[in-house]
Amino acid sequence: MKLQILQNEQIAGSVMSIKIDNPGLFTARAGQFFMVKINDFNYPFLRRPFSITYFKDYIEIVYKIVGEGTSMLAKKQKGEFIDMIGPLGNGFEIVNSKKILLVGGGIGFAPLRFLKEELKGRSFDFDSFFGFNTKDEVCVDFGNIATMDGSYGYKGSVIDLVKDVIDEETLIYACGPSVVLSKLSDICLEKNAKMQVSLESRMACGIGVCLGCVIETKNGMKKVCDEGPVFDYKEILWEKM
Amino acid sequence: MGKNVNLAVKLGNIIFKNPILTASGTFGYGLEYQKYMDLNELGGFIVKGLSLSEKQGNKPPRIIETPCGMLNAIGLQNVGVDKFIAEKLPYINNLNTHIIANIYGTKDEEFIEITQRLNKEEIISAIEVNVSCPNVAEGGSLFGKNPDNVFKLTSSIKQNTDKPVIVKLTPNVTDITLIAQAAKDAKADAVSLINTITGMVIDTKTKKPYLDNKTGGLSGAAIYPVGVRMVYEVFENVDIPIIGVGGIYNADVALQYIMAGASLIEIGSANFTQPDISIDIIKGIRRYLADENIESVSNLVGIAHSSG
Repeated sequence: MKLQILQNEQIAGSVMSIKIDNPGLFTARAGQFFMVKINDFNYPFLRRPFSITYFKDYIEIVYKIVGEGTSMLAKKQKGEFIDMIGPLGNGFEIVNSKKILLVGGGIGFAPLRFLKEELKGRSFDFDSFFGFNTKDEVCVDFGNIATMDGSYGYKGSVIDLVKDVIDEETLIYACGPSVVLSKLSDICLEKNAKMQVSLESRMACGIGVCLGCVIETKNGMKKVCDEGPVFDYKEILWEKM
Repeated sequence: MGKNVNLAVKLGNIIFKNPILTASGTFGYGLEYQKYMDLNELGGFIVKGLSLSEKQGNKPPRIIETPCGMLNAIGLQNVGVDKFIAEKLPYINNLNTHIIANIYGTKDEEFIEITQRLNKEEIISAIEVNVSCPNVAEGGSLFGKNPDNVFKLTSSIKQNTDKPVIVKLTPNVTDITLIAQAAKDAKADAVSLINTITGMVIDTKTKKPYLDNKTGGLSGAAIYPVGVRMVYEVFENVDIPIIGVGGIYNADVALQYIMAGASLIEIGSANFTQPDISIDIIKGIRRYLADENIESVSNLVGIAHSSG
């Protein structure tokens, strides 16, 4: 479906926020994503998967400019239309726990921002931890922040910031680079904590057909698009990521 | 506009309501697309390549985008022929369209066994034989690059089924007409071409090929002129029905394939970009015929060869 862009602006360094008219025709859950066609042409050829950052009166997607597709997307103006398929994927399974933590690395905060709204809607208590390289990249307005160079908040990685808070009563919702998720996974295993991770992968179709986005799990190859993007961390073979 | 145009085409004893099929590997088992389109509007669809037993496929990364296309090395991951028959077919058996099974194996005996199992399934209209998939080290390309192997394999498959047999050809050969001729000599009912073109992308950060399989098959809009050229060559040299495939993303490219000599066409990677793109292409062909005052799409097959 073609939806109208309400706003497309830089919110930090190379991070953009695009707000899109929500036609109110469907519901969405935190952790789900859209496949976005950047333009009407064959270049870029494939759609881009983007997690939903906010979903109510408008749809917000926060994205980082990393390549040609996202560079083109960043040039889109208010009033233009973009073609989106979705919402796709399973999303986070929302369950209560004594201690809920949202942990994001870099642009990985995007689906957690939506999750925050859902948790608040259910009056679940939670704490948030986000890591960025530098102050310039910080694009969240809530939670505890770590930067690698110490230019904002805690100096160090988000793992260093959060690791002592994790115990066996913790349920983590995480998204970020696989190195960060893999380290978190080690800590969760050690402390016997629960964790749902939202993964990123290159996708061609986003609807379970191309089999391009698979990851290796204890139960064989699994598609990030329609068997994910949210997985139980214990299922993933982290050494293969 | 509004004039009646005839999109129906015949292949062997099968009548397709229009020449649009969807290509194996880009359309799952059909089920996945029901949400996005009415499958009954298609001439037919070709299911994901089936092997004798379930296959896990290659390790990731399996895909990388390229200019106007993509490179893939999925490694033919599929549920296997038995699971397909037991678990997938029941969900697509009441459709008013043709279902074509694409099959592959690592040796003749496997192809034959899969053929025998599918032959019992009335709902399967035809069998497309993948002799060309370049992704699995021990598979596909070995058969498809050698005319003698293609002849032998196609002959044995023909002996084991009364369904039409389509041989899907690889473009990664010196002269595709020799392979098409071998398929014809073995009494194949049609050839489909082209499968993907073998390519490689290197990640300059890691200084290694991006795909775990190193090479992959190039598909998408970028490759269509290669496909059109090869269909043109086969039409010129071999008297066998042709199904054109490779980079078709709109009605104009579909028509180019038909004019080069294809009786039917398959839509591949474009399904990923727009799930219902085949419907747009059918409409576009219908519009073209009406605008050009051409009664039947069959009148266009191979028209680019005429000297007049």
